[in-house]
Amino acid sequence: MAVVAPPSREAAARVIRLEQVWKSRPGLLGWLTTTDHKRIGLLYFWTTLVSFAAGGAEALIMRTQLERPNNDVVSPSTYDQLFSMHGITMIFFFIIPMTTGAFGNYLLPLMIGARDMAFPRMNALSFWIFLASGIFIYTSLFMGSAPDAGWFNYVPLANATYNPGPAIDFYCLGIVFNGIASTLTAGQFIVTILTCRAPGMSLNRMPLFCYAFLAASFGLLFALPVLSADTIFLFLDRNVGTHFFDVAHGGSALLWQHLFWFFGHPEVYILIVPAFGIATEIIPAFTQRRMTAFPLVAIAELLVVFIGFGVWAHHMFATGIPTVTMIFFAAASAMVVIPSTIQVFAWCWTMVMGGGRFRTPLLFIAGFVFMFVTGGLTGIMFVAIPFDQQVTDTYFIVAHFHYIIFGAAVFPIFGGMYYWFPKVTGKLYFERPGQISFWVLFVGTNLLFFPMHVVGLLGMPRRVYTYSDGLGWAAYNLAETIGGFITAAGIVLLLGNLFVSYFRGAAAGPDPWHGPTLEWSTSSPPPEYNFAVVPKVSSAYANWDHADREEDRRRLESGVLVLDEGHLQPAVTPVDGDLSEVVEMPHGSPWPIVLALALSLVFAMLVLEKYGAAAIGGILCIAALAGWHWHEPEEATG
Amino acid sequence: MSGYVDVSRVLAARRGPPAALLGMAILIASEASLFAAMIGTYLYLRFETPVWPPRGVPEPEWLVPTILVAVLALTSIPVQLAWRSVRAGRVARARLLLLGALVVQAGYFLWAVHDFADQIRRTPITENAYTSIYYTLLGADHAHVFVGLLFSVWLLLKLMRGLTLYRANVTQAITWYWHFVNLLTIVVLATILSARG
Amino acid sequence: MRAGAYAVVVGATLVLAGCGNTQNALAPKSHQAQDIASLFWWMMGGAWIGLAVVVGLLVIAWRRRGGAEGADEKTAERRGWFVVIGAGMALPIAVIAALFVISDVFVIRTTQAPAASATRLTVLVTGHQWWWEFRYPGTRAVTANELHIPIRAPVRVEVRTADVIHSFWVPQLNRKIDAIPGRTNSIELDADAVGSYRGQCAEFCGVQHAHMGIDLVAESEAEFRQWLARQARTASPPTTAAASRGQELFTSAGCQSCHAIRGTAAAGDVGPDLTHLASRRTLGALAIPNTRDYLRSWITESQEVKPGNQMPNLDLAPDRLDDLVAYLQGLR
Repeated sequence: MAVVAPPSREAAARVIRLEQVWKSRPGLLGWLTTTDHKRIGLLYFWTTLVSFAAGGAEALIMRTQLERPNNDVVSPSTYDQLFSMHGITMIFFFIIPMTTGAFGNYLLPLMIGARDMAFPRMNALSFWIFLASGIFIYTSLFMGSAPDAGWFNYVPLANATYNPGPAIDFYCLGIVFNGIASTLTAGQFIVTILTCRAPGMSLNRMPLFCYAFLAASFGLLFALPVLSADTIFLFLDRNVGTHFFDVAHGGSALLWQHLFWFFGHPEVYILIVPAFGIATEIIPAFTQRRMTAFPLVAIAELLVVFIGFGVWAHHMFATGIPTVTMIFFAAASAMVVIPSTIQVFAWCWTMVMGGGRFRTPLLFIAGFVFMFVTGGLTGIMFVAIPFDQQVTDTYFIVAHFHYIIFGAAVFPIFGGMYYWFPKVTGKLYFERPGQISFWVLFVGTNLLFFPMHVVGLLGMPRRVYTYSDGLGWAAYNLAETIGGFITAAGIVLLLGNLFVSYFRGAAAGPDPWHGPTLEWSTSSPPPEYNFAVVPKVSSAYANWDHADREEDRRRLESGVLVLDEGHLQPAVTPVDGDLSEVVEMPHGSPWPIVLALALSLVFAMLVLEKYGAAAIGGILCIAALAGWHWHEPEEATG
Repeated sequence: MSGYVDVSRVLAARRGPPAALLGMAILIASEASLFAAMIGTYLYLRFETPVWPPRGVPEPEWLVPTILVAVLALTSIPVQLAWRSVRAGRVARARLLLLGALVVQAGYFLWAVHDFADQIRRTPITENAYTSIYYTLLGADHAHVFVGLLFSVWLLLKLMRGLTLYRANVTQAITWYWHFVNLLTIVVLATILSARG
Repeated sequence: MRAGAYAVVVGATLVLAGCGNTQNALAPKSHQAQDIASLFWWMMGGAWIGLAVVVGLLVIAWRRRGGAEGADEKTAERRGWFVVIGAGMALPIAVIAALFVISDVFVIRTTQAPAASATRLTVLVTGHQWWWEFRYPGTRAVTANELHIPIRAPVRVEVRTADVIHSFWVPQLNRKIDAIPGRTNSIELDADAVGSYRGQCAEFCGVQHAHMGIDLVAESEAEFRQWLARQARTASPPTTAAASRGQELFTSAGCQSCHAIRGTAAAGDVGPDLTHLASRRTLGALAIPNTRDYLRSWITESQEVKPGNQMPNLDLAPDRLDDLVAYLQGLR
């Protein structure tokens, strides 16, 4: 790292002014009213770790139940709640909020050279709604009435006839509630990426991480409303007496599936594409090379989500839909493979070009590639409709999607935790335990998920609370259970390493990796205002453009683009990144948490069937919105 | 409170869309997806059902709704003109245009609620799948008109106190919202009327 | 009570080991299942090759770690484009297109629903929570959980549901087909050889989804005809005094409100038809074997054997239970 001359008195004064302007309220109140994307990212991080623990506990209990035939660790109805909550928790309350809420929130503004998101208060609102929706759905578990019809909740099993009681109402309302948070986040990311980039960062100079999050955000935006419609229809069927899904009155049971999977398939790309984004930053950082075929990779990240909207009925190949329909969807599913294979070879080739430093983050990415390819290859097998019809709804599918989700979403999350740990905490993690945690996890997850391919082919269906002896399934299930506990141990080791490193790690400095993107050009942890000077950007690897970073230091001296007169950041044109105007940002507000509380009241009253009280809650929401928009930001001069 | 000259100058100098407008575009995209799901549901149920509407359920009226929806759609004109007035700094003119549009839009909404209540009293939502999607789709559309009314009232109250850059951005965003709702209402009406004949 | 139930079920599985005891999709016993299995083996071969290529690249990356290497930036980048387009686009497109054509144009023809004229025998399957109803149109035969078909004869299976979505699946014979409310789906079964084939419901259908097995027996045409004729007959009248008392108890204990025994007044349609209960090999949809002791436990503590199933525990004095069981065991 070059030795930098200390800043002049004027520069130091500017920095002091920025510190003062951007200072947060102290203490708990500061956190409750925060609009700082970094704090919000951390709030998401810790909350999603709790969700991960809950989902993991659910998994371990299930694995214990399945460890041998005819076991009776839990009752069948408890088991049904466990597998349903496991899926719901891991998808809606762990992966999505961890990737978008934690990683996306913390890193996006830093990577694009901004001081905050486009809508800081709405960002906080997303978090409080997310937290409230998690509490909402877990209330059902503590009541002993958690959703128990699976995370995809097929009708008629989930309707009022076969599932009286509040469990599925918690599901319907909880999904809509959670969906509001994710929709707000998606919109946030799109507008931020399009308008808050540092001037000079045209779209072709944007890091691949941002492309990945842009793709995932578009996916969420267009997919979530369809799920909301589906769950609203079910809620109406259950509570008002409508007949959307009631065959006896002209409804359709398959309608639920079509709407669900129209959301559900893009959802799986939404789960993994942000993780691709993490991988596409870790690889350059640890090979010190730009990603091979950068434009192709960027387009592939967008394409995989886009094409992913056209394949949903491949989840329905056993339902008796017409053959010509199935063939169309199989063809579309075949096409969606290609953007992924493009990326796999780009990642691999970048590493093959040499220079790789196989520190813990890159180890996790190597593990990710291995597991994503394994899961992807079984995914390709489902293009063969007859084969799909044989193994759908068996443990073969469970193996497939866990290789993809755990391998392709969670491994990069773990790698990202190690990679950005120095940036967020200012400390280095301990490398040796890091590498050990990787290997324990790699062995554990493969032992846990690989035998599922076999036992699925041997005929073991999904979602069975027990199975008979003599079918040849017992040994594989035992192996899987052992793998599950090894995996849990690996996670404990990983989190323990990070925890201890937080207190005892060596100082990291701003840029321990010589990282490619802008977050490494500021201190660790970053100041509240992220950058003293809005960075000059000439490429997608801005931190490697040393001339530009020099220019930033000169600008701090001369006061160009320091913008210390208020909470200011530049707004740019969406494609070319030319400066459009300078905008005053909100900074700290009680309204997000107030609105989230009002919204929680609405959902709580709905599930209690107190519709009048829910309407009052709605009015309170409108009042909160009015309060939110009462004061306007100061006028800024262009 | 800043003078209108400043706001116009800033608006003219701006090279890209303000965040508020893109945020509104996001909201529109999300709501459009919601309605696409509902319209898709309508069409799916329709093609699974030989007799549509099912026996015992009246066909939807066409004359009065078509006229009134057309009138609603025409309010896009004063609303758009209101934005152009704001952009030129002429707040009083903008307020008048918005108010005029609001009166028509509120009138439409009152008719819509009355008609909805009337229909649902005669043929409840719980009859069959047709009534389920019919009233849900129509009701959702009316709800979006209602939200538009709230937006317009809010904007009018704000513009009573003069023009700022913030209020100018909000005007533009709400203009887009009304164009969306008006177009949506036409599409929803067309979907519902497709049950005739 | 719990330990007893546990012993019941464990014992059951040991005894049931005699029945068709594999659901191994890779041990096909029909040409459809064979085609699917062959598809799998080819795809798996291809998958291992694909994985090996990627693992190979990772190994090379590992070996080139640390230092600077070989080709300069520009050449390496050009080669990278070549690799990405060649191996990342062209090759997968070719392989997947071939896979698509072979499976979804050709193989699919054998695994799809059969044309009406292609089969001489039809079985109507209705899924219930948590048992299977089998009817043979053209006869009065009705049975539950165990169906027989003749070997080497295409049989059309029409699948419906009485309640929620189920899925009919006998892996050694063909792929699965869902039972969807309001629809009738069908597949073809064509067993190559005499034997018993195990299947299971394959769409989560509630609390006892795990115990909704299918006992499919494929036998010679002659044996099948005999079995079918027997199943079509009305119930054999009781031959012993105990069985006669059992028949009266069947009514007075309320069994007839859920179960039918053709030829008697019992015509309940909530639970399985019991006219030929004693001819079946299992009870509770393959939960337990059909023996005297297991039948006793099923009647008095079915909630321990299959918790949540629709049959309540019946509290009967032991001698009355003996009579009832004697009657039921006479229903061959």
